Amino acid sequence: MRYLMLSLADENTPAPDERLFAEMGAFIEEMSAKGILLATGGLEPGGLRMTSSGEEFTVTDGPFTEAKEVAVGFALVEVRSEDEVLELARRFRRIVGDGVSEIRRVQ
Amino acid sequence: MIDAVWRLESAKIVAALTRLVGDVGLAEEFSQDALVAAMEQWPAEGMPGNPGAWLMSVARRRAIDHIRAERRHDRTHEQLAHDLRHDDDDHEHDRDDTLRLMFLSCHPVLPPPARVALTLKLLGGLSTAEIARAFLTGEQVIARRIADAKRTLAEHRVGFDLPGPDEAADRLASVLEVVYLIFNEGYAAASGDDLMRPGLTLDALRLGGMLAEAAPRPEVWGLLALMEIQASRADARTGPSGEPIPLHEQNRGRWDRLRIRRGFAAMLRARELGGPPGPYLLQAAIAVCHAQAPTAEETDWDRIVSLYELLVRLTPTPVVRLNRAVAVGMARGPQAGLDRTDDLTADPALRNYHLLPAVRADLLLRLGRAEPARREFLRAAALADNAAERAFLERRAADLPAEEPTGATLGPAVAEFLAGLAGPTARSYGQTLKRLRTALGEQTPVAEPAPAEVARVATAAWHGTAARTWNRHVAALRSFFTWAGRPELVAELTRRPEPPPEPRPAAPAWRDTEAALRERALWWLLRESAAPVTRVLALNVEDLDLADRRSRTGITWRSRTAALLPDLIGDRTRGPLFLSGRRPAPARAPAESDRCPHTGRRRLSYERAERLFKLATGHTLSDLKSQD
Repeated sequence: MRYLMLSLADENTPAPDERLFAEMGAFIEEMSAKGILLATGGLEPGGLRMTSSGEEFTVTDGPFTEAKEVAVGFALVEVRSEDEVLELARRFRRIVGDGVSEIRRVQ
Repeated sequence: MIDAVWRLESAKIVAALTRLVGDVGLAEEFSQDALVAAMEQWPAEGMPGNPGAWLMSVARRRAIDHIRAERRHDRTHEQLAHDLRHDDDDHEHDRDDTLRLMFLSCHPVLPPPARVALTLKLLGGLSTAEIARAFLTGEQVIARRIADAKRTLAEHRVGFDLPGPDEAADRLASVLEVVYLIFNEGYAAASGDDLMRPGLTLDALRLGGMLAEAAPRPEVWGLLALMEIQASRADARTGPSGEPIPLHEQNRGRWDRLRIRRGFAAMLRARELGGPPGPYLLQAAIAVCHAQAPTAEETDWDRIVSLYELLVRLTPTPVVRLNRAVAVGMARGPQAGLDRTDDLTADPALRNYHLLPAVRADLLLRLGRAEPARREFLRAAALADNAAERAFLERRAADLPAEEPTGATLGPAVAEFLAGLAGPTARSYGQTLKRLRTALGEQTPVAEPAPAEVARVATAAWHGTAARTWNRHVAALRSFFTWAGRPELVAELTRRPEPPPEPRPAAPAWRDTEAALRERALWWLLRESAAPVTRVLALNVEDLDLADRRSRTGITWRSRTAALLPDLIGDRTRGPLFLSGRRPAPARAPAESDRCPHTGRRRLSYERAERLFKLATGHTLSDLKSQD
């Protein structure tokens, strides 16, 4: 089963330092080699938003102030159980520090 | 949660401990101790910050205690401390150990099913129950298989060293084979009702990734690429009711691009390393060709044919040759493909392989020969073990108009012929003619086959058998075709000179017969133990000490019996070892001591055992003791 993990951040989240980059690199390497991590990447904080209503499409530029937390990174993983994805998330959070991850099963 | 940690960490832990204690059985025991400790402590005290390191340190402590106890007398503490001072957060070291463990669990002294079970257990972190479920067998069978494997490794004193340069290639090939076996068991579930068991596919991909990291050789990357690309088609290869969809009819939009990309990346790694391509790399290259074609029509079949030509040169197995025939059929037309299958139909290795008639059926259909195609589909269906595949092949046959057969067809004719024979002859001939029916097809008109076809069937089925067996089959064929009015079909089949009955011992025909597991186990046990038939039949499951190869009743055996017993016993824990084939009628309930508590079946009787042996070999069971 596949899961999408989103890591969220708000304005209090500290910027990543060198140590975090190194640990994260090793973690990504290990999980990719195991075939667990299928794709991952960071996300720009703002981005674009498109709203459609009938024939009308509206594009807005970020950042969107109403959202306190925004997704700043994603990982698509292939695991054997929900427990396994939770364990991965736990390891990930241990590297990046306090904060929130959202985990959604890909259906 | 602990399970999840275990799956991710166990390979590393077991590998490190095996290096420490030098015995994979002990290493696993200590790792399991750590797992048990985790199950006791974590729920109460919370999960440690680094669960993997926690497990590793508990397991290491157990191992070190053990070594101290063992070596107390002949080593000083300083030496010991020195020996044990590998602080193992070293990634290189881990990888190396994992590789050693893979070589160990895939060691050629082990039979392939044991290699698979041990690899899943030690490197995949699967429990015995999970492995049993994946292979649709009993937990005890797997537990025994793993225990036997560990014992065999210990008996052969298989070390934890990496293989030397002279055997490295063969040993790596064995590891690759095991990983691919696991993959295929998951991907193309050979038996059972589901076409896929995705868990095993994933396990194999993980093992492949682990292996590629530890031993980055072209063939390893090739295997990984092959598995990734095959797995990319997982969603597209079965239809709504579970029926298989052939590659060229799959909806390519449902192929998993992510996996394909990973496959391509693995392929690039393999190519960067250079060297002549091995079998996995070639198969991966073929898979890449398919993955690159935007539509089935745009497939580069010429390139695929040339890749198959290379592959056939490296591994000229019948299955590879069959796949080449498929490719040739696509590149150069159905007749060319069909021609390539002709020599395969005489190959004994393929006589029960359902894809051979299925491929021929497709090619015949493309040639517009609906009736022969329909019959080939039926033959394929009769040979397929997988329920979904069988149903699919039957439907393909049913889609074609059935031609009104001219005259009698093979199936009913054989039945009618057998009905006119006395019991024992009917049974013996029935065996022979069953093979003929499967090979030529139930619905083939008796008037149709050519002598060469009958000769081909006989050769494929019985070529390697003893003269006596061959002659028995030929006699059955001759009798049937004479009865059916086509004696010319067997004119080419000649009897072989049988070895004179004196002086004995003659050829040990019983070793060659295609007997059932129970018969083989009984015969080998009689042969290896030289015990009286009645005492062997009186054996109960609970009397056996499989590890020591002896029974409490004083019967001992050797390797051939030992290899057969676990499967014969299966999940049974007590009751008669050798059971009759059927349940007794209620009125004829056997004595409690002769009744299997698991199945309700009766102990195999002396008369029946004698009769089965006589039918199969013409000898009496007591001959087994003296025959060579």
